[in-house]
Amino acid sequence: MKRRTFLQGSGALVLAGAAPSIAFGQENTITFGGSVPMSGAAAETGLNVLQGYQCAVKYINEEKGGIEVGGNTYKLALNLFDDASDPSRATTLIQRQVDEGVDFFLGSFGSNIVLPTCSITEAAGRIMVQAGGGSDLIFTQGRKRVFGIFPRASRQFVSSVNMFTSLEPKVKSVSIMYTNDAFSEFQAKGARASLEEAGIKVLDYIALPVGVSDVSNVLTTIRENTPDILVCTTHDQTSILIARQMVSSDTNVPMLYQTLGPQTTAYKDALGNYANGVVTQAYWTELAPYSGDYFGSAGDFAKYFRANFDRELTYHMASGAACIVTYVEAVRRAGSLDRDAVRDALAAIDFECFYGRIRFTDDGDGDAALLGPLLIQRQNGELEVIAPPDGASAAPVYPAPTWKERA
Amino acid sequence: MNLFLQTTLNGLVLGGIYSLAAVGFSLVFGVLGIVNLTHGIFVIAGAYGALVLFTKLGIDPLLAIIPIGAVLFAVGYAYQRTIIQWAISRASLVASLVVTFGVAMMARNVLQIVFGPDVHTITPTYSFSSLTLGDLRIDLVRIVALGASLVLLSVLALVLARTHFGRAIRATAQQPLAAELSGLNTRNLHGLTFGLGAAMAGASGAIIGIVQPFTATSEVAWTLNAFIVVVLGGIGSPAGALVGGLLLGLINAYTAQYVGPALTQAAMFLVLVLMLLVRPNGLLGNAFGESR
Repeated sequence: MKRRTFLQGSGALVLAGAAPSIAFGQENTITFGGSVPMSGAAAETGLNVLQGYQCAVKYINEEKGGIEVGGNTYKLALNLFDDASDPSRATTLIQRQVDEGVDFFLGSFGSNIVLPTCSITEAAGRIMVQAGGGSDLIFTQGRKRVFGIFPRASRQFVSSVNMFTSLEPKVKSVSIMYTNDAFSEFQAKGARASLEEAGIKVLDYIALPVGVSDVSNVLTTIRENTPDILVCTTHDQTSILIARQMVSSDTNVPMLYQTLGPQTTAYKDALGNYANGVVTQAYWTELAPYSGDYFGSAGDFAKYFRANFDRELTYHMASGAACIVTYVEAVRRAGSLDRDAVRDALAAIDFECFYGRIRFTDDGDGDAALLGPLLIQRQNGELEVIAPPDGASAAPVYPAPTWKERA
Repeated sequence: MNLFLQTTLNGLVLGGIYSLAAVGFSLVFGVLGIVNLTHGIFVIAGAYGALVLFTKLGIDPLLAIIPIGAVLFAVGYAYQRTIIQWAISRASLVASLVVTFGVAMMARNVLQIVFGPDVHTITPTYSFSSLTLGDLRIDLVRIVALGASLVLLSVLALVLARTHFGRAIRATAQQPLAAELSGLNTRNLHGLTFGLGAAMAGASGAIIGIVQPFTATSEVAWTLNAFIVVVLGGIGSPAGALVGGLLLGLINAYTAQYVGPALTQAAMFLVLVLMLLVRPNGLLGNAFGESR
């Protein structure tokens, strides 16, 4: 066979094979666009969220056979790109997908990325359901097509303060450290307001720069002031840094509470036994008493995820999967893929699934009464739910043993 | 008074780590005139190397400095003799800036593919111990890091001052033409100097890995820190790196304690700008500049 004949023949075959799939893709697939940090500073959690999205899409397509809308069956597809944890790269990627006609978007991870990207989707009349941005700014600037699985940052601390007030001996003082970014600052502000409202004194309110490499001096202040609880609204790497330096400088507090970090494998590996006693937030656990049409119960989701994916299961996978499930439920209720109909269905949605009861506020963030965080504490190497009391699997260990006792 | 002493101690210890991480950058800048934007990659590669040796073979990171230094010396030498030398000979010295920037971006992604995006830490037995001096407290691992920094900086200073190799490097830096006329192979010496810089960066990375968590993206901060240290302390000498590093550590500590930790980076850049305006050669000047 001549080279030219071979190329012509194989080219025709490729085109013939591709043409039906392109048509199929256009007619019977619902594509979710977006970007996720698959590299860069936020990649560890970004990959967790991504696997949550992938898990739900796989489940809906393979176990449910897709979704039925208006008499047609649709498969789900993801069109997600690596934004490298970089907001400017993310905005370019999202704008391109908006121009290409993507209607439904999923969120990246990190309020610094979600905030500019959701502004683009909102302005273009597209919808975003996300589990990566909790900054108040996402929900308080009048957007009508942006929905967050998590409550806004300033409302994420109410259940924590309820737990603090139930502890014996009584918690009298708290120090707060936060990273100076769009999410952590709002979370810290919310924490301070909730604590002061509960009559707990806030001794220190310390902002740390993004990418801080040393907290020795801040810990000197903590040793001088001796709060009952040290609250850190910081991200993974900073949380590990703070905890390690607390251990090595023997800075003891009766409770160390870090909102992000202690859930991760990296934290457990870095701290070993010292991770015991540290309290953190989780928006979902596999022990949660929720179930629904998709995946079944929380435990069933965990089983399905572990059978199909390799990363250690954290709540970020569940919240990512919950975004897809919520979209699917909204489309089903709308009975249409029309953007306005889906938006209205999302705004009115109120249903229970493996993740919990999903309902949004008028501003689009998760209803804090239903979707607020559980509090977990690592006890003897296992993550135990310590609050709210209804779903608790263990009582809080308070005051926690000193670092030397935990060695 | 205790708070002030504790802050000063924290600053000095942090500064020791900055010094070691910057000395390779300073040497390459001083001798070759190259602002090596791949420097942070060598630091983080050293940290990953120490992590692998510690987790797979159980080698303590402080001992791992030797094999890591040797490997990165070879990598640095080969890198300078090929990619950087080609860029400089075909364009200009400025081309090295673009080339090292590009290589750093690629290397960062390669590290991320190999080791994943997760945060890593190295935890030898002494990672969580602390020393107490009266009311002052400091974690042992940082004291160890400071000690290792001082030892390595002293060794480098001795090599530069007392050995034939060190004299050859200084001669090449001060008068390249005269050095060549005296029979020195300056191209080879440039490669060796770059290798030495990479080895020092790798050694510092092994120490940094036990002091703080790291990812591939941490490299950017270490290149930036090295640049600030060189501007503060002066170019080309271990003493300059030490002075610059300690000064940066103290600025960091005092700002964090008395102004606010959120403003540490702002303070560092403010001092950088002031230094460039008032004394652009740094406190100790350019170690090789007087004959140029």
